[in-house]
Amino acid sequence: MSWASSAVIIAGKDLRLEMRTRDVIASVGLFVLLVVVTASFAFPTSGEGREGVAAGVLWMAFLFAALLGMGRSMAIEKEDGCLEGLMLSPAARESIFLGKLLANLGFTWAVEVVILPVFVVLLQLAPGSGLVLLALCALLGTLGLVTVGTLFAAMAVHTRGREAILPLLVMPVSVPVMIAAVKTSEAALTGAWSSGATSWLLLMVGYDALFLLVALATFPHVMEE
Amino acid sequence: MSVETEATGHVDDTQDDVQVAPPSGRRRLFGILTLVLTPILLVMAMLYAPEDLAQGPAQRIFYIHVPSAWIGFLAFFVVFVSSIAFLATGKRKYDDTAAASAEVGVIFTTGVMITGPLWGRPVWGVYWTWDPRLTSFLMLWLIYLSYIVLRGYVPDPARRARFSAVLGIVGFFDVPIVYLSVRWWRSEHPLQLVFQRGGLPAEMLVTLLVGVATFTFMYLYLLSLRTRTGRLRERSDEEVAQ
Amino acid sequence: MDLPSEIGIRIKGLTKAFGRQLALANVDLEVPAGSYVAVMGANGAGKTTLLKVIAGLAVPTKGSVTIAGIEMRKAGPRLRALVGFVSHETMLYSDLTARENLAFHARLFGLDRPEEAVARAAERLAVGHVLDRAVRNLSRGTRQRVALARALLHDPAVILLDEPYTGLDEAAAASLSELLDELATPQRIIMVTLHDVARALSGPERLVALSSGRVQLDRPIHEQTEDIAETYLALLRSEARR
Repeated sequence: MSWASSAVIIAGKDLRLEMRTRDVIASVGLFVLLVVVTASFAFPTSGEGREGVAAGVLWMAFLFAALLGMGRSMAIEKEDGCLEGLMLSPAARESIFLGKLLANLGFTWAVEVVILPVFVVLLQLAPGSGLVLLALCALLGTLGLVTVGTLFAAMAVHTRGREAILPLLVMPVSVPVMIAAVKTSEAALTGAWSSGATSWLLLMVGYDALFLLVALATFPHVMEE
Repeated sequence: MSVETEATGHVDDTQDDVQVAPPSGRRRLFGILTLVLTPILLVMAMLYAPEDLAQGPAQRIFYIHVPSAWIGFLAFFVVFVSSIAFLATGKRKYDDTAAASAEVGVIFTTGVMITGPLWGRPVWGVYWTWDPRLTSFLMLWLIYLSYIVLRGYVPDPARRARFSAVLGIVGFFDVPIVYLSVRWWRSEHPLQLVFQRGGLPAEMLVTLLVGVATFTFMYLYLLSLRTRTGRLRERSDEEVAQ
Repeated sequence: MDLPSEIGIRIKGLTKAFGRQLALANVDLEVPAGSYVAVMGANGAGKTTLLKVIAGLAVPTKGSVTIAGIEMRKAGPRLRALVGFVSHETMLYSDLTARENLAFHARLFGLDRPEEAVARAAERLAVGHVLDRAVRNLSRGTRQRVALARALLHDPAVILLDEPYTGLDEAAAASLSELLDELATPQRIIMVTLHDVARALSGPERLVALSSGRVQLDRPIHEQTEDIAETYLALLRSEARR
């Protein structure tokens, strides 16, 4: 079986599990909503550079969503030795990674899709056509976070503190993609897309590609005993 | 290289010792060089190097700050290379070296984070700016910290070594990318001014080189020492466990 | 998927170590097709590690594991399709139904007709009536049977069970023993780790005992059962003294 089909089977199982329990989306979604609502109280309702601050708030919320979701999703695998069950199958270790990556992407994007309109309304923004670009930034930025995060989550669940150590591992490494995501989101929100913003977008693509390769190469070492 | 001992069923890797931690002779040499060079560096930094006209006496921190930064990077490069070596060969000595280099490296990096603001405040009026070099250093420091914290959280030595190695590799790829992304983001670094004036006067350059040499030997000495103590401690932990 | 002609496990010089800690030390073992082996030893002797290495969960430090002439290191995915492994953890998602769990594993193993495989395995393990209940809601004994069904879904030629009798009442233990006797055909290999000597002597036809990562005992079981039991118990006692 190819990497892709095993990965899809694994991601499908995660989706089915999530639909059954609504575990991740409920807890994560609610938490992130609270973050956005709280932030909007401190938010300036007018003036220059609102979009920059807004982009920052948005990506903080997305980062939390990703971290919580990935931590939870991997913790479920740790229970009852399910991760070993995956490793016993003929599926390549890399496709286990891809499967979890797809599932985590799905969850995080689902939360983002819900949060984004709430965010735009609460913070009184008017992105207009920039919404499409904003969606693109969200896509690429989240991919970067989840690539690194899935790798680290697999490590984190095997440590004493379980998922608690995940944020500490992810955050330094995710700084470039976070900066790029905030910059491009800001440009999308103001509607003033520049060539600089395109460079940032390309950086995200490059980051995603690089760390996807690094994660695929190192994941088997994390999995083995 | 390892030799099995029938009686105890232990793998004797003292041969590895010789290859990992330089024999105490080399370590002593590093230590002596450090002891000799440090006062020389201090004298040169304080008295020999001319005072910077624009920045005043505070600029002298430069001779501690810049070499520390070099070593911060060098130490992490060593972590990176040892991590790859460990994943490729599975030999424990590479993990020992990586762990030791991380601990020594974090000390030097913390030194950079302290001397930076000490230099910055009197000269440019700010403790911190979000410029590429400082930001990538901050990230390097955080990656070091997460490496060390991770090690503290994994009791099984084999697993600890594998996980650290992965983090060492991922973290290393991150630092140049952080540098590039912040460089795009902000575009001034005050310290560039030092070099923009058509290069350093000879005395300053020499002092800087002495600084780099001193810190390099200090790093090598500490690395060798920390590698050895780390292995001794782990060995005694294992013996107690049995 | 083409099945290799002759299923046989060949273990040569298998060592699983990290630095000086040895889980397995230079183990040599030949397990031809048709073997039904009881693997015994004190806790920490290396039984679980041995099974995990054969199953492809753990990677050897030195030495090789070959199944049907193919090295585990070279063709992991292909070989894993031949192996069924049962540990004390169920490897079942408690919020999914038994059927969903089994169907998932069947698809992951690339079986042509997953639903049929699930039905067959469920029938064999007598869990057909609970297939549509969430695993969380099943009794412990039933859960273990579903776990067993998971391991047998793909009709593996090599069946590895790590302490499957622990926590089972007499009736459940007897039915497990019966099932294993049924499964022990000339085309299969069964390896069970056990603590109970009586259990080991009624069913398996070979006893392998490990101590400190080494094979200390390897005897066929047909006559002389008392002799074997005594030798094994003597081994345990001498270990306890150390």
